[in-house]
Amino acid sequence: MEFLTPLIGLYASAVAVPLLLLLYFLKLRRHEVPVSSTLLWKRAVHDLQVNAPFQKLRRNLLLVLQLLALAAILASLAGPVLALRRGPGRRYVLLIDRSASMNATDVVPTRLDAAKKQAKAFIESMRSGSTLSWRDQSDHAMVIAFDQRAGVVCNFTSDKRQLAARIDAIEPGDGASRLGEAVTVARAFAQSSGAEDAGRAAEKAAQLVLFSDGRIGDLDGIVIDANEILFHAIGKSADNVGITAMSARRSYERPEEVEVFASLANFGSQPVTRDVQLAVGGNVHAVRSVTIPACRPAADHMPARAGEVILNFSLSHSDAGVLEVRQLGSDALSCDDAAWGILDPPRRSSVLLVTRGNPVLESALRACPIARLDPCSPAGFDALDPAVFAARQDYDVVVLDNHVPAHLPQGRYLVFGAPPSGLDVNAPGELENQVLVDWRAQHPVLQHVNMTNLFAARSHRLELPRDAEVLAEFSESPALALLRRHGSTYLLVSFDVLQSNWPFEPGFVLFCYNALSFLSAQVSSERQRGLAVGEPITIEDVPADAVLTVRGPDGIQAELKPDPGGTVRFPGTHRVGVYAVATPDQAPRFYAVNLLDPQESWIEPREKIELADAVVAAEKEGVQRANMPLWPLLALVALVLVCVEWLAYNLKVRI
Amino acid sequence: MSATKPTTRKLSELLDPQFMARLDSLDLLSRKVLQGKLQGERRSKRRGRSVEFADHRPYVVGDDLRFVDWNVYGRLEQLFLKLFLEEQDLTVHVLVDASASMGVGEPAKGLFAKRLTAALGYISLVNSNRLTISLFGDGVRTQLANLRGRNYLPQMAEMLLTTDCDGLSDFEKACRDATAARLGSGITIVISDFLFKQGYESALRRLIGAHYDLYVIQVLSPQEIAPELAGDLKLLDIEDGDVAEITVSSALIKYYKRNLAAYCDELRNFCTNRGAVYVQANSADSIESLVLNYLRRIQLLR
Repeated sequence: MEFLTPLIGLYASAVAVPLLLLLYFLKLRRHEVPVSSTLLWKRAVHDLQVNAPFQKLRRNLLLVLQLLALAAILASLAGPVLALRRGPGRRYVLLIDRSASMNATDVVPTRLDAAKKQAKAFIESMRSGSTLSWRDQSDHAMVIAFDQRAGVVCNFTSDKRQLAARIDAIEPGDGASRLGEAVTVARAFAQSSGAEDAGRAAEKAAQLVLFSDGRIGDLDGIVIDANEILFHAIGKSADNVGITAMSARRSYERPEEVEVFASLANFGSQPVTRDVQLAVGGNVHAVRSVTIPACRPAADHMPARAGEVILNFSLSHSDAGVLEVRQLGSDALSCDDAAWGILDPPRRSSVLLVTRGNPVLESALRACPIARLDPCSPAGFDALDPAVFAARQDYDVVVLDNHVPAHLPQGRYLVFGAPPSGLDVNAPGELENQVLVDWRAQHPVLQHVNMTNLFAARSHRLELPRDAEVLAEFSESPALALLRRHGSTYLLVSFDVLQSNWPFEPGFVLFCYNALSFLSAQVSSERQRGLAVGEPITIEDVPADAVLTVRGPDGIQAELKPDPGGTVRFPGTHRVGVYAVATPDQAPRFYAVNLLDPQESWIEPREKIELADAVVAAEKEGVQRANMPLWPLLALVALVLVCVEWLAYNLKVRI
Repeated sequence: MSATKPTTRKLSELLDPQFMARLDSLDLLSRKVLQGKLQGERRSKRRGRSVEFADHRPYVVGDDLRFVDWNVYGRLEQLFLKLFLEEQDLTVHVLVDASASMGVGEPAKGLFAKRLTAALGYISLVNSNRLTISLFGDGVRTQLANLRGRNYLPQMAEMLLTTDCDGLSDFEKACRDATAARLGSGITIVISDFLFKQGYESALRRLIGAHYDLYVIQVLSPQEIAPELAGDLKLLDIEDGDVAEITVSSALIKYYKRNLAAYCDELRNFCTNRGAVYVQANSADSIESLVLNYLRRIQLLR
C-alpha cells in the first residue's frame, strides 16, 4: 500500500490527533459530588475492576475507538492506494472482441461478459488524477469493440465511470472477428494528439489491451510489436458443435423438389451424437441423428481439424418458405446451432420475344418450361417506357431477334444478330460462312449442346470489351459472348438464327433452354437472400413513400425509408436469424442471416496469438486489480468505529 | 428555674413536645446490673444503704452501729451487720458522631443523630440517670458530663444545637478520650455512621467491657443506602477530601450495595459477638417510631 498524498495526511493528523486528545481530557472533567465517605465507593470500584476484566482498557475504550476512527479518516485523507503503478500516466486502447465466438457460455455468463468484466477491472485499476495532487499522472483509455468491423465505444478519457458505462453498453454480435480494422482505428486515435493531450503523443505509444478468445481471422496480416499488445485470453472449453455450411436449392427438373445440404462440425475432443432437425416455416419436417467425429488435435506439421459430417435432406415444398436446420443438442455457442435458408417458390420464367417474325425461335422457346412467352414487334418494344419496363419486372428474359433497340431497359437479354448499341461492343462488319472452332462446353449455357456442325452463312464481326466472356468462337470472331453492363446481362449470339443451320440441330432447343435457365437464374441471384452476419439487407426499387418494417431475431426492429434512388438498406444484421422485411401492401420478404463460419464456431480459446511477425502469449492471470484507492474502505471503517464508540458510550452510561 | 423556659423552646427544635410527653413514661434499661456513683433508683452490686436486704456479716470495729442487726444479736448474742443492696443511679453515656460526614444526606444524618441523642438524653435526665453526652469528631470535641435531672435539659439542648458537624473523624481517639474520663459503668450508646476509614473495631473494643452495656446505632442516609447517581462522577470525601472517580453503571451500583450490606453485617456481627446491640437507622425514618417502637423492643427503653 502506498499513499498518493502523504503530506496532507501528515498535516491533518498533526492537527487532529492533539485536538482529539485535548478534547478527551477536557471531556474527563467529572461532575463533583460530595459524599460522606468514599470508603464503600472505592471498594465497589475495586470490586468492579476485579470482577470485570479489561476494565482498565475499557476506561480508555472510547479514546481508543476515537483514535482509531480518526486514524482511519486521516489515512483516507492521505490517499492510500493498493498496488500502485508508478510512472507517468499511460494511454491504453482496450480492444474487446464481440464476435460470435464470444457468445460462448463456457465462461459464465458469456465470454463477452467476462471480457467486459475484465476490461472494467482494468479500467478500475487505472490511475485517476488526484485533485489534491499537483502532478497529473492519470491514465487514459479508449475502448474499441470489434467483430468484422471495429467500432469506437469510447474515445480516450480518464473518466472511469464513463468508460465502465460504455463497456457495459457493448452489445454482443454474431459476426466474425477481424482485428485489423480495430488496430488501424486504435493507431489513428492514439496518434492524433488533441489539445487535451498536447505533448503526450511524443510519449510512449498507447498500449493495446486485447480481450478475446483469440479466434481472430486476420491475425497473420497484422503487424504489431509484441510489447505493444497485451492479450487476455477468455474462454475455457472447446466443446461446440456448429453448422458450418448450409444450402437449399430447388432441382432444375422438378422445381418443387428441394435439396438441403448442411455441414456439421464438431470442435470438441469427444465424438458427439446430435439430432439435427429440418423445419420448414416452423414445422418440423425431419429429424436425423448423426454422430460427428471428434476434432483431431494438431499433430506435427498438421493443423487441428474439426470432425465434420455432411447431411443431405430432400423434401418436396412448392411454396415459399423459411428453412431451418438446427442441431438440437446444447453446447457453449448457440448462434451456430441453426442455419436458415430462404426458399423461393418455384419460378418459371416469363419471356418477351422481340422479333419481326421468327417461327423457328418462337417454337424453340415455347418448347422450354416457361410461364409465358409474349411476342412483340420491334416497334412495340421501342415504344415501351424503359423506366416503367425496368420497374415492373414483368419479364425475366427479353429475347432480341435481330433488332437493335433504341433504348435498353435493365434486364436480361438474349440477343441474336446485331448487338445492341451502348454496350462497348462494336460490330464493324459481317463475316460469311463461319464454322465454330471452339466453345466452352462446360458453361451452363452450353451444357449438353453439341455445336460441332454449326454453320453460319452470315455473321456479325464482334469486337468485345475485355470483360466479356466468350463462350464460342468462329475462326475470325466470337460467336457467343456473355456480357454484363449496367446491371443487365446480355447473352450475345453474333448471327441470325435463320442465317445458320442451328435450327436444324437438336442443340438449338437445348441452348434456348439453358440460356433461359441461366438468365432467369441471374434474376434470383440478384435477389440474394442468404446473408452473412453484418451484410446489409438491400432492397431496390422501393416506392419513395413506402415505409418498410424490419423484424429480426433478438427483438431487432426498425422502420426504413428508401433513399431518393429507391433503395432501402438495413445494415443492422448483427445477429443470426431470419429477418422479415414487411412492406405495407406486400407479403413480407425473408432474409436469412447465418454465421456459417468454422473459424467462429471453433471456440477453443488460444493460448497465444500469432501475428504477422510476433507471437503474443496470453497473460497468465486475469486482470489484476491495481491502483485500488482505499479511502472509501477507510471512510467506512471510520464510520463503523464511530458507531461502535457511540454504542460503547451508551452502554457505559446507561444504568 | 429561670433558664428553663427559653431552653425548652430550644429543645423543642429537636423534639416534638408531644413526643417528649410520651418519652416521659420511658426509662432506660440496662441489661446488666451495674455500679452507679450516687444513690439512685437502681439496684447496684454495692451493698449499701437501701431498703433491699442483701446479707449479713460479722461486726468489726468501726462499723456503723446503725446497721447492726439487733434481732440477730438478741438470738445469737453476736454482732452482725445488716447489709443492704444499695440502689444507685444509672450512668448513660451517649457518644455522638459530629464529624463532617454526619452532615451529609437528605435528611442529614447529623440532625437525626442529634434528635436521637436528645430523645435518649431527655429520657435519661427525666429518670435521674447520670447522663454524659460526648460529641466527637477528631477526638471528643464537646462533652457534657454527669448531668442529672431535668434541670440539665436546656444545657443539653444548647450543646446539641450549637455544635455543627464538621471536621475529621477519629473514632479511635474519641473512644480513648471517652474511656479515659472514666465515667463509670453504665450504658454506652454510640451514634454514628461508622464509615471510618481507619476502622471501628479497636475503638469499639475499648467500649466493650464488663462494666459497659454497649449499644451501637448506625445512622445511614437514604442516599447511602440506595444511591441515585448517574454519569461520570468525581466523588469527594467530605472529611479528608479524598477523591473517587467513578463512572456509574448498574454493575457499580450493584457492587456498592453489596459492599454496604457486607459492611453493615460485619459491624452487626462484631457487636453481637461481643454482647453489644447493633441498631441500624435510616435518617429518613422518624425518630418517634425508632424510639417508641424499636428501642423498646430491643429493651434499651422501658
